[in-house]
Amino acid sequence: MNMKRLVFNILILACGILPCPAHTFEWTLEKPDTLIGKYEKRIYNYHKRWHNLIPTHTVLQYAGSVGAVSIGAGWDYGKRNQWETTMMFGYLPKYNSDKSKITFTLKQNYTPWSLPLKRNQLTVEPLTCGMFFNTIFSDEFWVEEPERYPKGYYKFSTRIRTHLFIGQRLTHHFKGKNKRHKSITAYYELNTCDFYLVSLFTNPDYLNLTDILHIGFGIKFQIF
Amino acid sequence: MIEYHPYDARIDGMTNINQCNIVRIEEGLQDADTFRFAFITDTQRWYDETEDVVAAINQRTDIDFVIHGGDLTDFGATKEFLWQRDILNGLKVPYVCLIGNHDCLGTGEEVFKKVFGNPNFSFTAGDVHFVCLNTNALEYDYSEPVPNFYFMHHELDSFPIKAKRSLFAMHTKPGDEQFNNNVSDVFQYTLHSFPTPLCCIYGHGHKLAADNLFGDGLMYYQCSNIKDRIYMVFTINKEGYEYETVSF
Repeated sequence: MNMKRLVFNILILACGILPCPAHTFEWTLEKPDTLIGKYEKRIYNYHKRWHNLIPTHTVLQYAGSVGAVSIGAGWDYGKRNQWETTMMFGYLPKYNSDKSKITFTLKQNYTPWSLPLKRNQLTVEPLTCGMFFNTIFSDEFWVEEPERYPKGYYKFSTRIRTHLFIGQRLTHHFKGKNKRHKSITAYYELNTCDFYLVSLFTNPDYLNLTDILHIGFGIKFQIF
Repeated sequence: MIEYHPYDARIDGMTNINQCNIVRIEEGLQDADTFRFAFITDTQRWYDETEDVVAAINQRTDIDFVIHGGDLTDFGATKEFLWQRDILNGLKVPYVCLIGNHDCLGTGEEVFKKVFGNPNFSFTAGDVHFVCLNTNALEYDYSEPVPNFYFMHHELDSFPIKAKRSLFAMHTKPGDEQFNNNVSDVFQYTLHSFPTPLCCIYGHGHKLAADNLFGDGLMYYQCSNIKDRIYMVFTINKEGYEYETVSF
């Protein structure tokens, strides 16, 4: 690719002026030409609202502090689809604990830049960042301590963890009518959770940033 | 770098620490009539201070072993245990760890059992039998007997022949909200049925204390949390014991 053009594109995209280049086909709920009665309008709007809730992507993730393997689905939105909200279920084998566990993650992702490479078939997202909340399904954990404890005994929840993350991604955009997905994204993320972060600040000698960062790898399938 | 969950209970490195170190303590002190141990407790999420106390104890040549009174972790998370273990493994002398109430949270107790061992354990140094007890009853909510009188009676029945005296270590004392206070009198009675009880040591309260708790002469000594940069030293000799608190 022409180097000048690439640099130009990078700059333009960095400024958020150009839309993501791969948007060639948008599936929408077709509005009938004539909506005769109130009932039809109501049904159309009803369909439209549910239609908006159809997930636009699915994910498969390895590690990343939410389970050994996680699967999920979510939504892309914003002018350049720079925002993502994903829900994931994770499987955590028992290892040295008594039983295996399922976790649930609610994740908010922000991708400020999307840089085209190789004739718009590949894009690089040099930074993704955001936060996620994870809860673990097991009666060993609680959101608020059980009643047997004096009130405020532990001033934290063992069940819900808040994580921050940063990562990078590479997206392959598919072309043609027979594609299965609009695009596939490979990503990695480095995350840390609330009490690790606090411990890092209170233990500057013992803990390093690398001690509290945990990596996760994933694939995101963009359906539409 | 790979973590499946903060509570994933994935453990690499040394496990069964207490048993390994008990062998070292018992071998090293089997004929000793005078020995000295350090008592530290409540080191949760104070890694820098824990490193400092390890360095301070390593500088001395008169400490034979270290007892940790529990609360190695704040959240019971797996990495918290491993970080503490790795710091304490820097001790030149052997150490044993009791379980604290925070160590029971989430998968904490399961990780504690794997890394350190049974929450109730004992060992003998010189002629003193050390009985280390899980007293965090509130965490178990009657799912297990805490304190475990079966264990205590078993300790009485199998009291080592060469041991003549007893010393008790626990995380929380009778009367504390963690303790099963319905049985605190029975607990104290059972302690008195051991040969020559010397004293009890405990943590949890994050301050120094020395109390004749039941008015029967059996002293309970509480050590501060490690944030206060204090540890206790107990010297056991033929006459009995002496203790001091050391700042570092």
